[in-house]
Amino acid sequence: MVWKTLCWEDVKEGQELPLVTRDITTTTVISCAIASLDFILLHHDREYAQQAGLKDIIVNTPTIYGFAGKYLTDWAGPEAELKEISLRLMMPCFPGDTMKMTGKATRKYIDTGQHLVDIEFTFAVPLGQNCTGKGTLALPTKESS
Amino acid sequence: MTPQRRYCKVDMNQTLYEELKALVGVEGPRLEALDEVCQPMIRHWCEAMQDANPLYTDQEYARSSKYGSTIAPPTMLLSWSMEPLWPPRKAPSGSLDQAIDRLDKAGFNQVIIAGSTQKYFKPLFPGDRVTFTYRVDDISPERQTALGKGYFVTTTFTYSNQKGELVGTQTLTMLKYHAGS
Repeated sequence: MVWKTLCWEDVKEGQELPLVTRDITTTTVISCAIASLDFILLHHDREYAQQAGLKDIIVNTPTIYGFAGKYLTDWAGPEAELKEISLRLMMPCFPGDTMKMTGKATRKYIDTGQHLVDIEFTFAVPLGQNCTGKGTLALPTKESS
Repeated sequence: MTPQRRYCKVDMNQTLYEELKALVGVEGPRLEALDEVCQPMIRHWCEAMQDANPLYTDQEYARSSKYGSTIAPPTMLLSWSMEPLWPPRKAPSGSLDQAIDRLDKAGFNQVIIAGSTQKYFKPLFPGDRVTFTYRVDDISPERQTALGKGYFVTTTFTYSNQKGELVGTQTLTMLKYHAGS
C-alpha cells in the first residue's frame, strides 16, 4: 500500500471530508473500551446499562477519540500531525448503530511556523448527533515534502 | 415541603458547593503510567479502532518516517492514566478523587462526559515512560440538566515523558448528576 499525505497548499477552506461509516457492534464497544483500559460497567455490562436507564451499553469517550483521530489521518495521510481534538458529546452510541462521520476543513492558517488546518466534524447516530468536534492538523508543505 | 426544610436544603448545597470550590486549582499528585509505551498496547488500540496508520504499527514504514520509529496514536493519551482494575493504586487521594467522592456521597453518583479537549505537543514512542498529574479547573454551581440536578466538573490531566517534556493535555468536563432529580 502506498501512503500519501496531503500538502497544506492542496487543502481548501470549505472542502468537505468524505463520509465514513462504521457499524457499531457489541464487540466494537467492548473491544475499544478494553483497548482504552476503560472498565467502567456502562461500556461492557448490558444489564447494568439498562438499570441506568440506557437501552444498551454505550461507546466510551476514548473510542470517539480513536475514531476521530483515524477519521482525520485517514483523510490527510499518516504524516499529518494531530495537534488538538475537542469534542462536544451528546447522544449515546449503542451496538447496532451505524455511525456516520462527516467533516469540513474550516480554516487554514500558519502559526509558529506550522501549517495548520482546522476540521470541524460531526459523528451522527440514529438518536441524533453523537458528537460534534474540531480537530487541528499540521500538514507538510510542497517545499517540505 | 415546608419553607424551613427548603431553607435547610439550600444551606446544605451551599456548603457542598463551598467544599467543592476549595478543591479547584489544587494540583494532584504526579503519578506514573503503569506500563511504558509499548507496541502491544499500540497494536491492540489500532486493532480495536481499525486504524491502519502505518506510523503506529508498520515498523518498516515508521523507521523511514521523520520519527525513525513507530509512535503511539496521540488519541491514546487518556489510556496512559487509567486506573487499574486490580490491584488498587496506592496513590494519595487528589482533588479530583475528593470532589467525586464528595459528590457521590451527596447523591450525585452518576457521571457522563459532556466535553473534552486533547492537545498534543510531542509524540510518544515505544519505551517512553509517561507521568501525569491532574487538577480540577472548575466546578459549576448545582445545575438543572435533562438528566437531573448535577455539577459540571472540569479537570485537566497533564502528561509528560521521562525527559520531563510536555507530551499533551486532556481536559474533561464531566457532569456528576442525581438521575431524574
